[in-house]
Amino acid sequence: MRRVSAVPAVLAALTCTGPLDAHPEIEAALSRLNAQITVTPADASLYVQRGELYARHEAWVMAEANYLRAAELAPDFPRLNRARAALDFANGRMAAARARLTRVLAADPKDAEALVLRARAHAALGTAAAAIADFNAALALIASPSPELYLERAGLYSSPGDALRSLDEGLSRLGPVVTLELRALALEESLGRTDAALARLDRIAGQSERKESWLKRRGDLLARSGRPAEARAAYAAALAAIAALPDWLRETPDTVRLAAELTRLTSSDS
Amino acid sequence: MKLPSSILALVLFATTAAPAATTIVRGPYLQSATPTSMVVRWRTDATEASVVAYGTTRDKLTLLAKSEGVVAEHIVQLTDLQPATQYFYVVGAAAPKPPTGKAAEDAPVRAATSTFTTPPPVGTAKPTRVWVLGDPGTKNAVQIAVRDVYRKYTGGRPTDLWLLLGDNAYPDGTDADYQKAIFEMYPDTLRTSPLWPALGNHDAKSANSITQSGVYYDIFTLPTRAQAGGMMSGTEAYYSFDYANIHFVCLDSHDSDRSPAGAMLQWLKADLAGTQRDWIIAFFHHPTYSKGTHNSDSDTDSGGRMNDMRAIFLPVLEAGGVDLVLTGHSHVYERSPLIDGHYGKSPTFDATKHVKQKGNGRADGDGVYRKPRRRAPHVGEVSVVTGSAGHASARPVPLDHPAMIVSFNEAGSSVLDIDGLRLDLVFLNEKGEKRDWFSIVKE
Ligand SMILES: [Fe+2]
Repeated sequence: MRRVSAVPAVLAALTCTGPLDAHPEIEAALSRLNAQITVTPADASLYVQRGELYARHEAWVMAEANYLRAAELAPDFPRLNRARAALDFANGRMAAARARLTRVLAADPKDAEALVLRARAHAALGTAAAAIADFNAALALIASPSPELYLERAGLYSSPGDALRSLDEGLSRLGPVVTLELRALALEESLGRTDAALARLDRIAGQSERKESWLKRRGDLLARSGRPAEARAAYAAALAAIAALPDWLRETPDTVRLAAELTRLTSSDS
Repeated sequence: MKLPSSILALVLFATTAAPAATTIVRGPYLQSATPTSMVVRWRTDATEASVVAYGTTRDKLTLLAKSEGVVAEHIVQLTDLQPATQYFYVVGAAAPKPPTGKAAEDAPVRAATSTFTTPPPVGTAKPTRVWVLGDPGTKNAVQIAVRDVYRKYTGGRPTDLWLLLGDNAYPDGTDADYQKAIFEMYPDTLRTSPLWPALGNHDAKSANSITQSGVYYDIFTLPTRAQAGGMMSGTEAYYSFDYANIHFVCLDSHDSDRSPAGAMLQWLKADLAGTQRDWIIAFFHHPTYSKGTHNSDSDTDSGGRMNDMRAIFLPVLEAGGVDLVLTGHSHVYERSPLIDGHYGKSPTFDATKHVKQKGNGRADGDGVYRKPRRRAPHVGEVSVVTGSAGHASARPVPLDHPAMIVSFNEAGSSVLDIDGLRLDLVFLNEKGEKRDWFSIVKE
């Protein structure tokens, strides 16, 4: 390991006066930490904080130098491994990040943020099953997970059916979130499950005050599935939805164009 | 177990006296307002039950709303409210007893009666006042001065809602930072006007969007299920809501996935396509255009977030008919004319192509900005960076972004008034001077 001695000259080298100085908020936070470090130069937490500050502003070399100093002072400092893992991850060193996160999780298996980060490192390294396992563990721990976690996990399954089940778990927990439904809709369509896709479209349309584009999409799906009569009914419903809009929304260029297309589709015999 | 009567008396005394001993240390504050519901939150220094007594006349708070459990962090939702109606309310561990008139018997008043007015029915136009604060949370004299200027300006005119554009509590967005920078700074506005916040980089030091955990997510109750309008985002990190004839969209420019395939952008497209409100106002932390304390041309400044918001999100907002984009982060005030379609760096700004209506947009100047009422994509929006509610830049800043028509390195906040098809924005500096103003009229 690279040695960083505690002499003041080297301490000074752990701070930089480059482009970071352009922003007064960073300067203020840096000078606060620098002052504290002058008073208590052996406090590892201060170097971790300063490293995190640099990392937030993507000054990776400075961040790393501060983490190394903290590691010398207190190799087991709780936040240090996570911070260093995040740095490895941000710099594309996925295997190093994964190894470090495994140490973080050995110390605290309930660290949900570490689980998410390790899931992403696993995913980047191509170990999808391990990534899914970490996402599962994280989702079980997080009180209000974001839909992004379900989307990320769904993207790791090679089978569309498994991905759908994964999304449905999110939908039953979070409600009919439009981004989860849209991803599930695409998967249903890829599996040729028209009725399931239609049910998802209806759930999305049910949330939207303007239903015409969703009804058009419903018609397109039915037409592709060889159900022309139902397709025409959907197009007619879309036209009716447009007719019900206030003038100032009905007469917009996009809506006028959509209405013209729907009129053509409802009158065609195909 | 049988207790001696003296101990029993002590226990009984302690039990009955306990509620009076608690102190409300935060709030009450109003969240997630809809025409028929309101979330009331407050914090006590000890755990107790959560009760809101409310009614439409100050001395008859006969309706009660409660939430389960004995807690210090109280969250109570009032439901079945009447739209556009003034309510009075008081929070506590139990319903207040009607006063007996005898001072010795009346419990000391722990929480004053507060009031709010519910939003009007969705879609109904109503003169609406919005207070907009970017980067307020310095806790210093400048923040106080900016607050007091607005108080004086609005006077008896109620604030219908207020927006925080991120970096709401410096330096780290901790609970203690929020206590001083928000809860002790704006107590009156908090208990009368629903607050809608956006996440800034300083808030994100103590919060995580992907796990929706940390201080910011703990202290705000925001709609994840489209409770207040719009489409369901499933997250408090980005959300939308309706007020009267206005659709507000809040984005997380700091910590959520900003990629074109990401959930936030997919949600935004669906959300904008679904709204029938007259006005669309977007707010988030990182500015699309700025040459203040941040440079929106820099790929490294703020991790490229300003580039992302301009190149990835602004095209979708403009295609969706956005009228106004409110941002902060840069501790200045910068404002564009009516513009559209500028998604590159500042040298690519071409006024002949990107300015939809030039001039300052003032009725008493070059004339108000005019947009067709008919919602059309790409007919122009005004971008406002108003990130100086806590401090301006201590040193000179370029303020030369070609998309901007008015730029000041001055502390202040913005006041937005929407009345039917007219929108007015005013920037007030910390000395109380009206430094910028413009109007957009739809016809
Ligand atoms: Fe910021």
